[in-house]
Amino acid sequence: MDSQFKKIVLENSDTIVRMWVEEVNALKDANYTSSISEELFDSTNREFVNVIFTRIKNVEPAETLEDFAEKLINLGWPLSYITDGLQVFRRVTVDFILSQSEKVDSNHISLVLQSVDKWVEPLIRQLVNEYSGNWENVVSLQRLALQELSAPLIPVMENITIMPLIGTIDTERAKFIMENLLEGVIRHNSEVVLMDITGVPVVDTMVAHHIIQAAEAVRLIGAKCILVGIRPEIAQTIVNLGIDLSQFPTKSSLRKGFTTALEITNRKIVDLDTKVDNLENMINSLHRE
Amino acid sequence: MRIPILKLYNYLLISIQTEIDDQTAIQFQEDLLDKIHKSGTSGVVIDLTSVEIIDSFIAKVLGDVVTMSDLMGAKVVLTGIQPAVAMTLVDLGIHLTGVATALDLEQGLIKLHQELGE
Repeated sequence: MDSQFKKIVLENSDTIVRMWVEEVNALKDANYTSSISEELFDSTNREFVNVIFTRIKNVEPAETLEDFAEKLINLGWPLSYITDGLQVFRRVTVDFILSQSEKVDSNHISLVLQSVDKWVEPLIRQLVNEYSGNWENVVSLQRLALQELSAPLIPVMENITIMPLIGTIDTERAKFIMENLLEGVIRHNSEVVLMDITGVPVVDTMVAHHIIQAAEAVRLIGAKCILVGIRPEIAQTIVNLGIDLSQFPTKSSLRKGFTTALEITNRKIVDLDTKVDNLENMINSLHRE
Repeated sequence: MRIPILKLYNYLLISIQTEIDDQTAIQFQEDLLDKIHKSGTSGVVIDLTSVEIIDSFIAKVLGDVVTMSDLMGAKVVLTGIQPAVAMTLVDLGIHLTGVATALDLEQGLIKLHQELGE
């Protein structure tokens, strides 16, 4: 029975394709693909139909389908184009086969539905898999990128390291920050670590807890942690929530924190030459001439 | 097993190289206090660089040793605590407040030197 239907479909492929294209074109205007040019839409439709028919003929290896899916993904076509297209194909084919059959009873209809489903289902499954696989890939790459960005450590001077934090801190990230911070302190042999929270939008009890824990751990391995970049609203939240940050020094800006860090490591910044000196030197040298 | 306690000028130097069990820890506490008493030292450095695991009991003993030595007039600095160890301690809620720490043995000695003003 199945091969008989197949024969009907393959022999009348032109009619089916025409019906299918009409239906898909009707979908186009109401839908996602309205911004795509006619030519591209037509050529993609043709390719799509080819893929479907080669699949029904069972001659082609699976690569054509994968290539097609990859092309659509790269072009950024929505998944709904594929699912809608295949639904339409199923409907059109079933209609067509039924219109060609002489005797139509419920048994026959169910047979037709079954065999058409058998052609279309694997296609849908494989295409959806291609799409979701691609998305998962993108998400995991992004997560990786985010993780790389989440806890950077900058050794600005000998014994002084800065960790600028940007964005919300959750438990997972806090753990990552702590690990990175401690490893970095050991690796750079730093005496003072400045933790800059200018870019952290919200400091609630949980975030504060994580920061305090990190600072404690830094103290245990033998370095000092200074919390810098505390904005007025953050200061208010911290006090209102009753969080005790008195165990370690805090500063409003990175600059102040850095000065403190220099003091702790017994250093200071000295201007090499003031402008006044320069001017005096110039005048003196002029006098001599 | 006993942990060796070395004398370096007027400091005591302890490098813990093995995993310490409870018995060794207690033994070490007694040995160290004894040694402080005998030598009249004013500074102690305990180096934990090769220690991978510190449980709550060992942490308590270490904290106690520091307080006890302080009572006997010897300042203690813990050095070389590994990141993993520090994280475990903080997770366990052990903060060892009031205990001086340093990155490595060298900086520990410098710290002692500064604090004791010698």
